[in-house]
Amino acid sequence: MSTSPKPLPLEGIRVLDFGQFVAIPFCTLWLGQLGAEIISIESSSRLTARGAPPFEEGQEGNRNASGYFNSLYATKKSLTLDLATQEGKRIVHELVAVCDVVVENFATGVIEKLGFGYDVLARINPGIVMISNGAFGRTGPMKDGRGLHSTVNLFSGVADVTGYVDSGPRIMGSVLPDPLSGIYAAFAILAALEHRTHTGLGQYVDVAMYEAMLTLIPEAVIDLTMNGVEPRRVGNRDRQKAPHGIYPAAGEDRWLALSIADDQSWQAFCNVVGRTDLASDARFANAPARLKNVEALDAEVASCTSAHDLYEMVVQLQTAGVMAGPVLRSDELLDNPQLDARGMVVSIDHPVANRHRHLGLPWTMDSLGTRSTRAPLLGEHSREIIIGLLGRTEAEYEQMERDRILTWLPLRAGTPPGPPAAFRNRRGLHGLSIHHHGTGRARHRNGDVE
Amino acid sequence: MTIASEHNSRPETHAAQLGRGALGALSVVEFGEGTAAAYTAKLLADFGADVVKVERPQGDPTRRRGPFPDGKPDPDASGLFMYLNANKRGVVLDVEAGEGAEALDRLLKSVDIFVTDVAPNVLRAAGCDPEALRRRHPRLIVATLSPFGRGGPWSDWRGDELIAYAASGMAYGTPGIPDAAEDLDGEPPLHPSCFASETIAGASAAVAVMTAVTGRRHTGEGCHLDLSFQAASAAVQIRDLMPASYGSAVYNRLLNPTSIGRMPNFYLSCQDGYVTIAAPMDIHWNRLAEAMGNPEWARSADFATEPARARNWIELRERLATWAMGCTRAQLQSIGERYGLMMFPFHSIRQMAESDHARDRASLVDFSVGNRPAQMPGAPFKMAATPWSLRRPAPRFSPEDDAGIAPIGEVA
Repeated sequence: MSTSPKPLPLEGIRVLDFGQFVAIPFCTLWLGQLGAEIISIESSSRLTARGAPPFEEGQEGNRNASGYFNSLYATKKSLTLDLATQEGKRIVHELVAVCDVVVENFATGVIEKLGFGYDVLARINPGIVMISNGAFGRTGPMKDGRGLHSTVNLFSGVADVTGYVDSGPRIMGSVLPDPLSGIYAAFAILAALEHRTHTGLGQYVDVAMYEAMLTLIPEAVIDLTMNGVEPRRVGNRDRQKAPHGIYPAAGEDRWLALSIADDQSWQAFCNVVGRTDLASDARFANAPARLKNVEALDAEVASCTSAHDLYEMVVQLQTAGVMAGPVLRSDELLDNPQLDARGMVVSIDHPVANRHRHLGLPWTMDSLGTRSTRAPLLGEHSREIIIGLLGRTEAEYEQMERDRILTWLPLRAGTPPGPPAAFRNRRGLHGLSIHHHGTGRARHRNGDVE
Repeated sequence: MTIASEHNSRPETHAAQLGRGALGALSVVEFGEGTAAAYTAKLLADFGADVVKVERPQGDPTRRRGPFPDGKPDPDASGLFMYLNANKRGVVLDVEAGEGAEALDRLLKSVDIFVTDVAPNVLRAAGCDPEALRRRHPRLIVATLSPFGRGGPWSDWRGDELIAYAASGMAYGTPGIPDAAEDLDGEPPLHPSCFASETIAGASAAVAVMTAVTGRRHTGEGCHLDLSFQAASAAVQIRDLMPASYGSAVYNRLLNPTSIGRMPNFYLSCQDGYVTIAAPMDIHWNRLAEAMGNPEWARSADFATEPARARNWIELRERLATWAMGCTRAQLQSIGERYGLMMFPFHSIRQMAESDHARDRASLVDFSVGNRPAQMPGAPFKMAATPWSLRRPAPRFSPEDDAGIAPIGEVA
């Protein structure tokens, strides 16, 4: 756990966070590490992350010990609040008056039904910046569609350029649509705040996860719309470089990434792997020849690399000026010497979950600092926020507790802790939560203010 | 002609600046050769910043990449270049020569932000080491992007999109959940045919830059931001890292159910394409069984409960694959909608581009590549008060300009 002595760049920015799953929590994790104050609203119905694995052995189901929650909610504050009550809604409205940013990624229409639509919030605080994030965005015929990351991969067209040679489309790893749209949400927030410093006015921003993914494939989109050319899946090959691919190294499931654009690098590669015969092979003499004979080239390269230890080969290739690197598994990242040397691997102490390592922000700053403080315990900051920030009295606070407005309501008995949020059927969850609170959708009119 | 004075000789009103967008008051010099830095500057330019792109006399290599109209190479008609560099002004400078380096420094004197991904030795020759720039221009925000970043044992390694993607863990994780490699040897870790890692790095650097703009209000001073493609692509794997951090199951390329949660959550072939089917809890499974016409096996002890389905997931996958092969994409999507199930079909880029939804949201926007009409991805988010707009096409390339300096603002 650490807070550097340098000034935190986003100190003084306060964010009201209705985020769930990965996209918005990832966005506010970055903002929190940069010094923004993140007030995470938690209620049993929206509480998807605290029940999600991994847990340390013996702590399964402990809502303060979820590795999923503690990774995504580091640096944030926890306010438990029953959003179905009038008093709960009033607290949100009071918070909006003293916040700079509101973020949410409910299904389309839910935030309005709760009484927190942008029109309502902007009347309370014209400077408020509000971000909505969803698979398909807040407008358009599919706006009510729910989507897991796989849905977004499949709709965006990214799967169309992902796949082995002339075979079916495949899905990119790492639930990318969530964090990528979270990065864009963070950028949009900072851009809207920059605009606010000049105008005093906030605004509404609509982030669609599939549109975030579209930014990965401009070449394919342009080739299609300009030339009518449909993408052809080519595995790891490139249209300008060869060899360009991921080739086996010695040992089980170990792989080398290799990218060679010029003849000098090709000669150097052949020398490192001890295949001077390939260096003088006319089929591979120059880049156009290597591209033309790429099938034979890939087979030869794979036969060379599979005989060598991965890291020894990478170091020798890099020393010879060849672009090469190891294919790392996600579990190897926390021990990666390069990420560690750049200060990206952070250890965070937690009173319940103990000490765990996480990856911090992917950039360094010379004059500004970051922080990597732990995730909050459930409701840890409720009192501080209600009394300290909103100026409610101790007596009012206790009344709210008695009325169970600030009380996290446990899930129904027998309901097991959920799977990682990315696997949940969001429709099912939302249906369950609204029913659970007895707040029929019809009771919330769009733009309803007390 | 001095660029800096020209820059200053056209003072804009505040209203004019903000008329360009949310970032209208910011000015940027970008020296990018590829996707990453150009994309950072694109995000800034698209939302209103005044961006000048610096190119060396040989031009940004992206001009040679295409896609070109009918595939005919033309440095002024590369689709990727036109996409990445729209809304920017351009200048060609021989930055490794004295005059070019001086011109670049005059440009930097008057701007807020410098973004670059060119090699450190080129920056050094141009007198643009980040440390030197910070000394000369204390308020300047300097963002450097590279495959592995500055500092650390791998900082001198050569890399590109593929190498960084591989070293970030993303390649190993692709094909990703709920898909999986079917054969450890025959299906190596996979890279999508696009600049994924560089784009993620460019977008992350745009957040970093805006962070420093905000921070400068506290400190009154600039900042050197250093970002690596590897780190940016590693950061977005937060969900995959959790099991490693908590010492539980490690992600397995062959779809190990202990590491991926509840079943079924599969990616399968159907009659005319591919579809994802997720029914992770009993409530969904019961609905799916109903949707399938209640086959006997779906209610059998082998599949009726969550633990049973997790235990028998290989058999389950085969049974579901057989069922899905009897259905079309449209049938499956409609079944999903009818039964409240997460079932979604693969869309080709053409199908996405031609969908009512993408058209209604203007997810793709019209532009020209050379003289050819085309479409490119629009902004990744929609700002209600300060919308994205295409104000000018990407700068043309003018290597014949004898001063080595093309007039800024040459392109209307």
